[in-house]
Amino acid sequence: MVANAENSRTVTRVKTSRLSLNQRRYVAAALLLAPVILLRLFTTLYPFVQTIFLSFEKYNPAFPPRQYVGLGNFEKIASDIVVRSSVEFTLIFVFGSTLFQLIFGIMVASLLNSRFRLRNLARTINLIPWAIPMVVAAVGWRWLFDGTYGWITDLLHRLGIDYSWLIDPVGARIAILIVSVWKSTPFVAISILAGLQGVSEELYEAARVDGANAWQSFWSITLPLIMPLTVTIGMFMLVWQLAVFDLPYAMTSGGPGFATSVLAYQIQQQVATLNYGYASALSVVMFLIVGLIGIIGVVAFRRVQVAL
Amino acid sequence: MSVKVSRREFLKTSGLAAAAVATSKFPMPGIIHRRQLNTVVLKIQSFAHDAIKAVLPDFEAATGLTVQLEPGLSSGPEHMQEVSTAYAAGDSPWDVVSDPDEGTVAFARAGWLMPLDDVIPQETLDDFPQGMRDAFPIWHGFEGALYRVPHEFAVGYFFYRKDLLGEPPKTWEEVAEIGMQVTDAANGVWATTDAIIRGGLTWVYVAYLASQTGGNVFEMDAGTAHAAHFLYDMLNVYKIMPPDALNMNYDQQNQLYMSDKVMFMRQWPFFQSVAEGNTEWFSPEKVAIALPPAGPAGTGSWWGGWGFSVPALAPNPDGAKELIKFLTSNEVAPKLAQGQSWFIMPRTSILNAMAGTGNPIVDAMGLYAENNVIKPRPFHARAAEAQYAVDDAMLQYLTKQATLQEALAFGKQLLADLSA
Repeated sequence: MVANAENSRTVTRVKTSRLSLNQRRYVAAALLLAPVILLRLFTTLYPFVQTIFLSFEKYNPAFPPRQYVGLGNFEKIASDIVVRSSVEFTLIFVFGSTLFQLIFGIMVASLLNSRFRLRNLARTINLIPWAIPMVVAAVGWRWLFDGTYGWITDLLHRLGIDYSWLIDPVGARIAILIVSVWKSTPFVAISILAGLQGVSEELYEAARVDGANAWQSFWSITLPLIMPLTVTIGMFMLVWQLAVFDLPYAMTSGGPGFATSVLAYQIQQQVATLNYGYASALSVVMFLIVGLIGIIGVVAFRRVQVAL
Repeated sequence: MSVKVSRREFLKTSGLAAAAVATSKFPMPGIIHRRQLNTVVLKIQSFAHDAIKAVLPDFEAATGLTVQLEPGLSSGPEHMQEVSTAYAAGDSPWDVVSDPDEGTVAFARAGWLMPLDDVIPQETLDDFPQGMRDAFPIWHGFEGALYRVPHEFAVGYFFYRKDLLGEPPKTWEEVAEIGMQVTDAANGVWATTDAIIRGGLTWVYVAYLASQTGGNVFEMDAGTAHAAHFLYDMLNVYKIMPPDALNMNYDQQNQLYMSDKVMFMRQWPFFQSVAEGNTEWFSPEKVAIALPPAGPAGTGSWWGGWGFSVPALAPNPDGAKELIKFLTSNEVAPKLAQGQSWFIMPRTSILNAMAGTGNPIVDAMGLYAENNVIKPRPFHARAAEAQYAVDDAMLQYLTKQATLQEALAFGKQLLADLSA
């Protein structure tokens, strides 16, 4: 009788539950994850969608009415000389600094991978520029390049070269690239160093036996083996640096003229002047550039993998 | 002791807790602000805090309110960005805010400020000179309502090294002539300098020069062209100004002057306090103030400044109104001015209180008023954006990326786009 009663309760319970145990687990998991997912959606998807909607509006709360202008903001961007110059320098900055960061990063990583005394200390010192906050570095370099007090300007002056870096459009762009390369090369180097440590010493020994010199070993063994990692880091640096703001802001305020203004700086300026519609359109353009570079990166990465 | 909780119980409890939190008055930041009715939060630059703290005990004793001082940003555009972010989000952590001219123009139009017409007594308004009151509807109000009460009267003063020059240059021609005599570029000594960096400072200096040519930088007119041309010549023809002035901020400008590398310069009144604070270097002859050198339209310098406003969403609007009434009153304004030169204005109460004290800014204010130096700040309804437009256009010319005509045409286009 007791056993029958137990079975009856079990049967009743099974009948009342419409979900299996596995399904109930999924529901529980979904409920537990829901707050985090909702928070994430609220803080990323909502602003993203809102930005896209705003990009089709002329909206400055100080100057109503708020109105739908279709592609008007994007047409304005196409004819805005300051924005065009900012996009141009953003791309120069991103591709230029990433290229040099990778070149110097591989060189520094190769040096740090070789055996020498105080190697660990050298690896630590290498990271110092990367550890310095960008604004601090930018202000420091601004003084170094300063035409009146600058150490670099003074050094060049002693060599008979008088050049004011930060007020010449080309000089200011080069100066910002130099600081960016100086600042981020250590990070690239330490990442590539991790890849270099995975390259088997036996490959180099075999190459030496075959009569390969150091350059040939580097070109035929090291570089192909670290290429996937290099492409990944390169992509990361490209996308990461696209949103650069602090360096040109603290070093030149986008000048001289607007030669070193970047897209993120233009967005900030539009937000500061309450032009939320135009700032949103600029943000969408920036998103498209980031997306395009991301796609190029994925394709490049696959090609490298296929080639290997 | 361990307590076993089944999955069902856990989910039930979690759901109930979440529902309780959602339906209760969860202390969101905005609500926290609105609960602190005994506190009034004033956002103003840190260098003014000491002067304000000195007068607050009277206010706190009389009202029972506590005033909390929050630091503000010195740069108008940066301040606008910080404050507008909160306002646009429908919130304000502050009850009273010190706003720049361009900020008030935008915020009043956006409906983010509270009208102050019924707050400020007539005797306080009457204490301001007529010239300042004339500017109230333009820079401090909108559609007939007053949204800000000025606490600063910022004029670009012409500081010069009396100990080295004896007499200052009185005209643009003398600026060039004396400038070339005293400049020693090889040793980093320049006749003059200014902070002309992009981002809201270029237009300040061009507008200063344009006030001496009768020009309006927001019109990109002949006077603006003349001013820009003279600036270009100072940099490139007379070579009496360091080329890096184009990338200089106020700190660098002041530093250059106090390093004995500059003979004369335009600067805001706050430099007087900065110079006096550099006790090892300072002497009155090193920061003498003269009339600005006269250009084609005579001498001139425009005035603007910061003032107190109350955000429309101030958590404690009543306390805010009491505080703003107190700080701008005829009794307290002179005390603030005596505590910090930033608060010195040509108000009757302040001038009476500081008469005969030998304060160089008060004396200079009188000198400038007597000689009709002070001109109104050029107005543009989209002031912040218009200033950036002037920066971008003028710097194209000053950094030799465009001719003067091209730069003026570019500037006109940028300004026209603002109205579109």
